[in-house]
Amino acid sequence: MTQDELAQKVKVRRETIVFLEKNKYNPSLKLAYDLATVFSVPIEELFIFEKDI
Amino acid sequence: MKRSVVIFILSALVIVLSAVWFANAKISFNLAELMPFGILVLVVGIAVFIGIKRIKSIRRGEPAEDELSKKILVKTSSISYYISIYLWLVIGFFSDRLNMENHTLIGIGIAGMALIYLLSWVFFSLRGLRDE
Repeated sequence: MTQDELAQKVKVRRETIVFLEKNKYNPSLKLAYDLATVFSVPIEELFIFEKDI
Repeated sequence: MKRSVVIFILSALVIVLSAVWFANAKISFNLAELMPFGILVLVVGIAVFIGIKRIKSIRRGEPAEDELSKKILVKTSSISYYISIYLWLVIGFFSDRLNMENHTLIGIGIAGMALIYLLSWVFFSLRGLRDE
């Protein structure tokens, strides 16, 4: 799947997907859920939450 | 799409009116008289760039705005507002010491605010919003 195709599936711009891949942006919960749904995986497999505490 | 068309129409109007003004005015080609025209060209150029970018996005089937672009705009607006306050403080401090008309200082302040906004937008567009 290309970045363009993924962006169209989750209804965001291609730049958003690029920034996510480069770890330059933390997605909203909705976007994270939509991405997990597209790949049919749990959110935790796509995004790792780093605890500050 | 409508928004992009409006941007192009407004830019074209500004360019046409500026060209008419430039043709009819007796410009002496010194820096003080050409600077407002230069700022105008810069602003119109930015508007055309944004319009072209929007049309390309629409043709690719992308939304014109999404959560990241809106967050970048919000962050850019807040940072540029904060910096602009200090810009106006500096202008106010130096206004008595400089031999400039008030409207020139105001023009410099407004141009400075636009430049600060542009540079902030470019900075956040390249850096991203990692911890927002």
